[in-house]
Amino acid sequence: MYTYRKAYRPFVSPNDPCPPMWVKTYETPPQLYLGFQPYGMPQFPPMEALRWGTLWPALFAPYSNPYKQKRMGGYRWNGQMNGSRYTNS
Amino acid sequence: MEWTDERFKVYQQLMKEIQAVDFVLVELNLYLDTHPNDQQAVEQYNDYVRQSAALKSRFQSMFGPLYGFGNSYTTCPWSWKEAPWPWQV
Repeated sequence: MYTYRKAYRPFVSPNDPCPPMWVKTYETPPQLYLGFQPYGMPQFPPMEALRWGTLWPALFAPYSNPYKQKRMGGYRWNGQMNGSRYTNS
Repeated sequence: MEWTDERFKVYQQLMKEIQAVDFVLVELNLYLDTHPNDQQAVEQYNDYVRQSAALKSRFQSMFGPLYGFGNSYTTCPWSWKEAPWPWQV
């Protein structure tokens, strides 16, 4: 399922006291890609717009919690769970 | 005016409709800030302003003032402070 979420690999130092986070993600909402909003974009009906939180379906950007799908302590990002301590592959 | 279940349902339904229409107005307002000459959006905005005014006058005729401090007519006795308050609905 295509999402606006992107990921990066922070530096993990051997001296980190806590278990490392191999992958961190951030949300990139559609308005970053949209630039100037075009005219006459399709709209939700009022009741729907209230529920979705926006009048235009194209601009809907749920700020979902990436850690909800965390399993066994490691954070899973499209399949790769944990790199080894030094190599983040 | 005592409260019956049925009357409270009408209250909630009308309040939800007002909320939806006002949300669309907020969205259109922000949209028109950056697209001042979008004729179609201006017409839609004015339609929703009429719709919102109609909904609010209907609501206020049935349930008393929605806003205080001169923003809506009041009943006698003064009922602006009467229940239900927004968080009770």
